[in-house]
Amino acid sequence: MNSTPRQRVRDALDHRQPDRIPIDFGSSFITGIHCSVVAELRRHYGLEERLVKVVEPYQMLGLVEDDLKDAMGIDVTSIFPRKTIFGFPNEKWKEFRTPWKQVVLVSDHFRYKVESNGDVYIHPAGDTSAPFSGHMPASSYFFDTIVRQEPYDEDHLNVEDNLEEFGLMTEEDKAYWRREAEALRGTRRAVLTHLGGTCLGDIALVPAPFLPHPKGVRGIEDWYMILVSRPDYVKEIYNRQSAIALKNLETLHGIVGDLLDVVVVCGTDFGTQNSQFCSVETYRDLWMPYYKRMNDWIHTHTTWKTFKHSCGAVDPFIEPFIESGFDILNPVQCSADGMEPGHLKRSYGDRITFWGGGVNTQKTLPFGTPDEVRAEVRKRCEVFGPGGGFVFNAIHNVQARTPVENVVAMIDAVRQP
Amino acid sequence: MSEMNALSAAVEKGKRNDAKLLTQQLLDAGHKPLDIVEQGLVPGMSAIGEKFKNNEVFVPEMLIAARAMKECMILLEPLLAKAGIKPKYTAVIGTVQGDLHDIGKNLVAMMWKGANIGVIDLGTNVPPEKFVEAIKAHNAQAVGLSALLTTTMPAMKTTVDAIRAAGLTSTKILIGGAPVTAEYAKEIGADAYGTDAASAVDSLLALLEA
Repeated sequence: MNSTPRQRVRDALDHRQPDRIPIDFGSSFITGIHCSVVAELRRHYGLEERLVKVVEPYQMLGLVEDDLKDAMGIDVTSIFPRKTIFGFPNEKWKEFRTPWKQVVLVSDHFRYKVESNGDVYIHPAGDTSAPFSGHMPASSYFFDTIVRQEPYDEDHLNVEDNLEEFGLMTEEDKAYWRREAEALRGTRRAVLTHLGGTCLGDIALVPAPFLPHPKGVRGIEDWYMILVSRPDYVKEIYNRQSAIALKNLETLHGIVGDLLDVVVVCGTDFGTQNSQFCSVETYRDLWMPYYKRMNDWIHTHTTWKTFKHSCGAVDPFIEPFIESGFDILNPVQCSADGMEPGHLKRSYGDRITFWGGGVNTQKTLPFGTPDEVRAEVRKRCEVFGPGGGFVFNAIHNVQARTPVENVVAMIDAVRQP
Repeated sequence: MSEMNALSAAVEKGKRNDAKLLTQQLLDAGHKPLDIVEQGLVPGMSAIGEKFKNNEVFVPEMLIAARAMKECMILLEPLLAKAGIKPKYTAVIGTVQGDLHDIGKNLVAMMWKGANIGVIDLGTNVPPEKFVEAIKAHNAQAVGLSALLTTTMPAMKTTVDAIRAAGLTSTKILIGGAPVTAEYAKEIGADAYGTDAASAVDSLLALLEA
């Protein structure tokens, strides 16, 4: 007998064999689909013609609506954070013509300027008086952060400056969560959300593209350097940040209860293509105590599963991730050094769920043939699928310019192995 | 330990204040600026690069070492310029058109500078013609192209084509970035692919000294 999508995901997360491999696309900002590909998928499946909503304007991810989820057999839905990475709520949708000439829907607070060369610049928090915090070149498909780093003295830093974005949930936040939770009551799908403020030192968030005038250490290289030169400062940020997060977790749990199945705790990347961004010892010292504090709270008080995203060659980090209380690893970049699927499944497969790893989005999915995609997907499902512990997703978001027939070949291969 | 060795060690450890002090002491003691670069700074950067390749240190340690060297160079550069001394090789570097991600590119630029290669950093989102202009203007022997995204990889090919079409057939072209591979370098006619910032030094020197 067929399970409900939610039961299918819960089985996989509990390391029990589900009736089929559960699938996620579009539930998070790291398991999503570029808005141009969402539009093509809607056309492919013959769904009602409508403009795609951009739920995540930084990476220009499109909303995967319920009709597309049904068509693709997607088992996960989500509550997105109230505000985007550019600091504004997604509401009062308006049309926006992208540099690649697609008309999409964006929030009315998406305030931007198009230069004569076609480059797009976006303001933080919809505040047109603040300097731009994002830039999308005319030939690009995504925004990137404009780092706004004020001069600072590394020996005299004020921790408050790097904590500006972390605060207790406001009444508006709580009302948003109540509305969203209400709308999802009775859903047949598993529910995922991104927690706010639990992400420790994610290099996409450090420059604070959502703040009008960020203070503290905000440059990418500046941040990496203080990990070595001022670990005391970084620890104090994480300590204060996680203390605030615990209070918010309690509030959130009071609102949504056990509606949630999966919470994305952190997206900090610890891996490069062939190495890591720091040693395991540094991870244990700087990050693990604070991750553990938040994950332990979640496990003690809720039924939620904790989700850790980290790109790259993180094989040496998987054991410490498990010790830190993470239940799920994403995106499982199998092409990176040491990330061979069979090794991962054998070594950690009964203790952590692989949410991703389904197909290479740097090579096979955008540049391969549908047959190559099918072959890779089948192989991954054979290795990762047995005994649960696997939710199918590509390795990170499906990028712009990915042929739609490859995405369809991928989905068909998971559903009809 | 000689002061020169102490300078190398300070750079390797990223101790910028010590490194600056030692540079000044060496200058005061009459050492030539070029000797300080070649015997003090370059060995320090080379040592950290080796450890990086062996996964003994990581990006943050490389960055603080490069910062220490950079601060020493602020003392040395005017003196080198005054004496008319230029690095033996010059390389242009940038991220290709459409790509704004520059962590990798910056690391490679730092490591090249650390090997006393003159680096003309064109920044991010660089159109092919800008690479061509800069190679010609600076008589650069090599160029480094970086891309993080699958969507901007095609701009690498356009750039390689533009460089070759401009008659710059002997300019060595190195490419790198997360989705880039050695096969892709071959496919688009680049001379080499760098797996990481430290290897990019070896690759460049191997091409230039071949």
